Amino acid sequence: MATASATLSSLSSLSLHTTTTTHRLSFSKPTKPFFSNPTKLPLLHSFPSHRSTTFIAKTSDIDTTFFENFDPNEENDAVFNPPEAPEGFVAPPSFDDGPMETEEEIAAAYEELYGAAYSGESYLGNDIYVMDSKVRKTTGFGSKAKKEKVKDGLDERVVQVRRVTKVVKGGKQLHFRAIVVVGDKQGQVGVGVGKAKEVVTAVQKSAVNARRNIVSVPMTKYLTFPHRSEGDYGAAKVMLRPASPGTGVIAGGAVRIVLEMAGVENALGKQIGSKNALNNARATVVAVQKMRQFSDVARERGIPMEELWK
Amino acid sequence: MTRRYWNINLEEMMEAGVHFGHGTSKWNPRMAPYISSKRKGIHIINLIRTARFLSEACDLVFDAASRGKQFLIVGTKKKAADSVARAAIRARCHYVNKKWLGGMLTNWYTTETILHKFRDLRMEQKMGRLNRLPKRDSAMLKRQLSHLQTYLGGIKYMTGLPDIVIIVDQQEEYTALRECIILGIPTICLIDTNCDPDLADISIPANDDAIASIRLILNKLVFAICEGRSSYTKYVINNKI
Repeated sequence: MATASATLSSLSSLSLHTTTTTHRLSFSKPTKPFFSNPTKLPLLHSFPSHRSTTFIAKTSDIDTTFFENFDPNEENDAVFNPPEAPEGFVAPPSFDDGPMETEEEIAAAYEELYGAAYSGESYLGNDIYVMDSKVRKTTGFGSKAKKEKVKDGLDERVVQVRRVTKVVKGGKQLHFRAIVVVGDKQGQVGVGVGKAKEVVTAVQKSAVNARRNIVSVPMTKYLTFPHRSEGDYGAAKVMLRPASPGTGVIAGGAVRIVLEMAGVENALGKQIGSKNALNNARATVVAVQKMRQFSDVARERGIPMEELWK
Repeated sequence: MTRRYWNINLEEMMEAGVHFGHGTSKWNPRMAPYISSKRKGIHIINLIRTARFLSEACDLVFDAASRGKQFLIVGTKKKAADSVARAAIRARCHYVNKKWLGGMLTNWYTTETILHKFRDLRMEQKMGRLNRLPKRDSAMLKRQLSHLQTYLGGIKYMTGLPDIVIIVDQQEEYTALRECIILGIPTICLIDTNCDPDLADISIPANDDAIASIRLILNKLVFAICEGRSSYTKYVINNKI
């Protein structure tokens, strides 16, 4: 097994950029170990195509630039060069050795660092009830004052409120599902869903949800898109097209609301595919995320912007 | 980040059994770069890479501690629970060593309310008011208190979301890891041959079954945290005076 995997890995490193015909040529070399288990041979034809896809590591958005010179094939060349030990370096004792600290010492040390958070006792004279001011009162005397709108400059618009039912043994349970689009008119939009037993609560929940997934829309000077784009989400497909100034937003239903809340003045949009409001709203967000400004593309490709217009 | 010396000894790691992975049939092919060979049906982890990752993790932790960031150590395996608690107490960090309640970080608002209740119960216990109630009520409250102590005892000093989370076993603490990814909290994770190295921010390939190997790695990280903290307190004292 080990030899087979080693040879296959060398084969796949050869086969990353070659077509399937050359695979069969390279198979003729190490056929001897494979004769022992003839059942492996039919599998070999399917191996290279899926080996080359599994062998390349998936790109992730975690910053791993310190391992850029990392070649997984060079296993024997990996070297660990730690910096030199300072003189007189004494290995510290393990956390298990040494005398056990008393509970008071531990509590005092923690309190020095964090203050008396939720421990209920204080050795250094801090106020025990310091966290009480952070509690949001939902019931009781001061609760009515908190129901005002969160002031962060984002406007809300309700796209759709539907009554949905869940059938249980006792009958039908009714809930309201609200879809809300949140945006300032300067290029930030977000779509959110929320369900609750009352319309108002549902709208509030969906607004909270919308504020969590906000996307910025690339816009040009004339308040329109830089180029066409298509986006799909589920079965809903949306096509967006820029327009000359003075056109206004020509799009239907959910798409129009999303574009208006984003602050786009001139655009054309069409819902191709399903007409579901939520999916279309999400599809416009996807379409808008795919757009790039000319300056971004020029920066990524490392060429001046004039080249792009040639 | 300056690289410092963390006393990472390859022989020490071999003694603790850090290089043993899980059985060959249970591996995750994404761990292929970190596995050096196979022996008796068990994958052997490449210790040079482990040492490199461990020193990077220690550097990161030292830097964060010297800026006064908050840490959370999560380890709910029965074998490791005790050592996680002691390591965290030694390093003065928050820890979770019994079950990780779902939504502890993403539903921080609810966790805060439970922490408030915990604090109130403790206050009442200290004042002795629990003994004045009828026996049944006081028994119920004492049981609740002991429950809260086991699950939340390690995070009772946590005022907000932590800045760095250290997870001991990725398969066990998958929910915790998922929550940190959703919230965007950087994580350091101990990865075995059946785990996915791309999920955590810094993944240290090591053996998560042997208590000795977990203790060794926790030792190094705790040492780094302590060093960072001491430089932070010096900075704070110098600036306050």
